[in-house]
Amino acid sequence: MNKFLAVVKREYVQRVRSRMFVVATVLGPVMLLLFTVVPALIASIKTGGPTRIAVVDESGKLYERVRQSILHGREEEGEAEPATVAANTANESQQQRIERAGSAIQQSFDVQQVKTDGGSLEDLRRQLDERVRRDELDGYLILPRNILEGGEAEYHARNTGDVFTRGHVKQRLTYAVRDQRMAERNIQPSIMRDINSPVRMKTTKAGEGGGREDSGQGFYLVFAVGFIIYLTILMYGQVILAAVIEEKETRIAEILFSSVRAFPLMMGKLIGVSLVALTQFAIWGVVFAVFALYGVGMLAAQGMSVSIPQIPLPLVVYFFLFFLLGYFIYSTVYALVGSMVTTAQEGGQIALPIIFLLVIAFYLAFPVIRSPNSSFAFWVSMFPFFSPITMLVRIVTQTPPFWQIALSLALGFGTVVLLMWLAGRIYRTGMLMYGKRASIPEVLRWIRQA
Amino acid sequence: MPHTTRPDNCPGGWLPTLSDQKVTLLVDRVTKSFNEFVAVDELSLKVRPGHVFGLLGPNGAGKTTTIRMIVGITAPDSGRIELFGQPMSRKLQDRIGYLPEERGLYKKMRVGEQLRFFGELKNLKGRNAERSIDHWLERLKLMDWKNKKASELSKGMQQKIQFIAAVMHDPDLIILDEPFSGLDPVNAELLKEIVLELKAAGKTIIFSTHQMQLAERICDDICLINRSRKVLDGSIREVKRSFGRNSVALRIEGGDGLLEDPTLVAKVERHADEVEALLAGGASAQELLRRLLEVGAIVSKFELVEPSLNDIFIEKVGASE
Repeated sequence: MNKFLAVVKREYVQRVRSRMFVVATVLGPVMLLLFTVVPALIASIKTGGPTRIAVVDESGKLYERVRQSILHGREEEGEAEPATVAANTANESQQQRIERAGSAIQQSFDVQQVKTDGGSLEDLRRQLDERVRRDELDGYLILPRNILEGGEAEYHARNTGDVFTRGHVKQRLTYAVRDQRMAERNIQPSIMRDINSPVRMKTTKAGEGGGREDSGQGFYLVFAVGFIIYLTILMYGQVILAAVIEEKETRIAEILFSSVRAFPLMMGKLIGVSLVALTQFAIWGVVFAVFALYGVGMLAAQGMSVSIPQIPLPLVVYFFLFFLLGYFIYSTVYALVGSMVTTAQEGGQIALPIIFLLVIAFYLAFPVIRSPNSSFAFWVSMFPFFSPITMLVRIVTQTPPFWQIALSLALGFGTVVLLMWLAGRIYRTGMLMYGKRASIPEVLRWIRQA
Repeated sequence: MPHTTRPDNCPGGWLPTLSDQKVTLLVDRVTKSFNEFVAVDELSLKVRPGHVFGLLGPNGAGKTTTIRMIVGITAPDSGRIELFGQPMSRKLQDRIGYLPEERGLYKKMRVGEQLRFFGELKNLKGRNAERSIDHWLERLKLMDWKNKKASELSKGMQQKIQFIAAVMHDPDLIILDEPFSGLDPVNAELLKEIVLELKAAGKTIIFSTHQMQLAERICDDICLINRSRKVLDGSIREVKRSFGRNSVALRIEGGDGLLEDPTLVAKVERHADEVEALLAGGASAQELLRRLLEVGAIVSKFELVEPSLNDIFIEKVGASE
């Protein structure tokens, strides 16, 4: 036990004190911020002045609406549209999606009317093309007389590859035409808005007295936990692998094995590195909590009411336990791989496919949500590589009996210990035959032999 | 040097005694094989307390495997290993100090911390550890490096640190596998001095090498293994006596023709400024000297040479090739 603690202490102290840890701890949140905020900022950069568009309105009725629509959008745009948008999302083409995305981007326009004045359309086109060439215009729109009855509008632009502008113009034109059609049939836009408004539905978990509203919050939390497990493994899997291989690469293994057994050594490394990860998370958590409290305080001071999501305490405990289980079960894979290989690079390649199991666990969540008490759900929530997600899904949807949760945890942590014991055996036997990677049959033989 | 008091019920290993009954380490018909390959075959050894025991043999003879079994890293397939009169166990591991041939240090760890960690693995903690670390760093002239990272040390310095890790917990049995390889002559001499000090303090030392000259100067007893088997063992005196080989070191002017005479000389080895002549069977050194003087050779050196361990090694190991 003393020796085990010595290993844990060494792994922990060495890593927490390292410059890498300090840098990663400080830069982690900064990077996260960078990756979420910066792309949005870049995408919203406006280059050049407003896009200048001339409109030729042959119908004679639309110009004002089109101008208003292109310049200011439509007031109910944000409300009525999502319903139709959502319905279309499934079968819309890639192009349509880009065009829709374009409409979301802030873009300024300059719209001017060009009268036909009885001249031929051909002359007008030539004239406008000339103005585009002289850079007095960026594009022009020709609305045919029969546009309200389905006639085709023409959009000529210098840069037809600018899908965003094209999409924006097309969509705003559609709104204008639609409003004109309604107006001609004496339909108030407000009526249309009422008709299109989506149904609202309140979801409550059955059997919970008081009818607490549950908008699937717990479910999102499960995915958050799964995502954090995934992130932690991404960050720390390689660290564990490197920790296990360290003594092979530095050739200290033999000195260690003359003093300590392989199992406490492996376990010590796993626990030591895990404590490092938890330390880092705790630091981030505290910083985040401080900022969040500060933010909530600011909002409250401005008279805004902020509701902090209420999660019952047992659920918090379960989340934490299954997070630990998920983290340990997957990092054990890295330790196991580390025990077989001689360099960290080859280890990473071997471990990656196993982490794929975590992705499967995510997908298994869906059938489990639909029938959380089926025998299928039971078994997948007992399997250690899936249970961190599947059991949590069951807990938030339809909490299974306590013994099932306990059993799932016991199986999970039992598997961790077993795999670490196995890693110890493989490591020790492998070390005695330095310098080569183990094949699977060899590994099996080592396990029996050691 | 830090001294720990030992319980009375531990037999052997603490007072140097020449009695052959007492053994620190007993290896009894031990066999170990890896798959089809037999690494150690029916090997038996007795290591006397307070002596330096040389485990000699060419590369791949099975020395390291033997040591690993003694230290408890691997278990023998068959046979018995007893340490201080008890069967090998985890507890006894703490009374062994082991410097393996495959050795390294944590590169980014400071020397002091590193030694503290190795000490903890041998249940040496707190003030005792601190005192021992300082004592040894002082002794090996590395005190200034205590707070340096291992990666800043030269290879020789690293090796001395590894040596400290093997002896800092005051073990009764010290096993050194090629401890001098890569050391410069000054440091090799320092280390040799310390080994002899440890011996004088009653420690039992097993010393594995294929450098015979070194073994010859340090070891009391040796065991030569080749191809997984013991070739010979005993005290250096015994071994050399049983190996009575007739050879003469000569520095002469003239009389070279005599050395070509096959009835007199079996083999001639020419060194820088002298010649070593292995006498033919039936010929004696006296006769060689008489004949040399007869032919008028000027003899400036004539010395009966006892076989060196190197010669024995080459003869025994070479014979089996």
